[in-house]
Amino acid sequence: MRRARHGDLQAYDELVKRYQERIYATIYHMTSNHEDANDLAQESFIKAYQALKSFKGGSSFYTWLYRIAVNKTINFLKTRKNKYHMSLNDLDFNAENDPDLVALVSDKTPLRDAGLSELQKKLNEALLKLSEPHRTVVVLHDVQGVSHEEIAEVLGCNVGTVRSRLFYARQELQGHLSEYIKPT
Amino acid sequence: MNASDKNFENLKRLLKLKQHEVPPPGYFNHFSDSVIARLQAGEARPETLSERLHIQAPWLVSLLRLFEARPALLGACATGMGVLLIGGFILIGEPDGQVSQPLLTSSDTAAAVPVAQTLAALSAPTLAAPADNTGIIASSNSVASLQPTMAMFGQQNALFQNTSFISGR
Repeated sequence: MRRARHGDLQAYDELVKRYQERIYATIYHMTSNHEDANDLAQESFIKAYQALKSFKGGSSFYTWLYRIAVNKTINFLKTRKNKYHMSLNDLDFNAENDPDLVALVSDKTPLRDAGLSELQKKLNEALLKLSEPHRTVVVLHDVQGVSHEEIAEVLGCNVGTVRSRLFYARQELQGHLSEYIKPT
Repeated sequence: MNASDKNFENLKRLLKLKQHEVPPPGYFNHFSDSVIARLQAGEARPETLSERLHIQAPWLVSLLRLFEARPALLGACATGMGVLLIGGFILIGEPDGQVSQPLLTSSDTAAAVPVAQTLAALSAPTLAAPADNTGIIASSNSVASLQPTMAMFGQQNALFQNTSFISGR
């Protein structure tokens, strides 16, 4: 980190390798588009390098990097409002054996008729219907597993706001996916 | 797990599907190379003010976004600040809380002119008047001046004296 701050690109390369998957995944889940996620992830790392000298260490480097990526993505999505073009990634081999997904796809749900690919498409469509702040908290918490506190730090708001956004986002998402989710 | 999480249990299970979405094989093998190549190509440009705000003051960006989402809130804040500003100007412009009044207004001046002329006519010696037999020229008018007869608080004004002349025959 210290070496990267002094302009050592090799050291920065190591930092990129360490965080590239999580940063890419966050942006991809927010955009549902591989090409956009690729561009935005690269730009986020470039911007982070430019701003590295202004990083005072008040938060962890990862949180700081997340903040850059999330803000960049939200700005991008605002400029492309209602012009979404999905370019979804493939599902890995483990998807069909995931116990949670197996539990969800039972005989009692219409999901048995829907293949996982179709479900993936519907899920991404539903996510794109959410507002950017709502989508961000769902992606960060429910998909990426980031804590409420860290999300608050990334978004520059308080934890209560994060919890509130998460509740309303889930509620809306559940409404969009009601035919695919059996009631609890 | 709280009640809110329990309500959304199935949704959370469904969202796990997102974790199985993976980019094309080998994508991350060259990702960092692309970033470093772009940095070496000189894409490192100076940060703009907007970019710096996003990183260093996300709360300000959130506030601006809130104003953008709720223009009525922005209007209310602007009105409040305007009222405070005008109130401040009014308070500053008023010395010691007293309302200043002009000493002499133009209407007062206009009213004072004929009075002054009359008084001047009265006080002037009557040189043009015909002399009487004694040859003494005197005025029986008391000396008139702008000085008030009585000073304040009912005290006699020491500078003022009634004068009369009697011809000695």
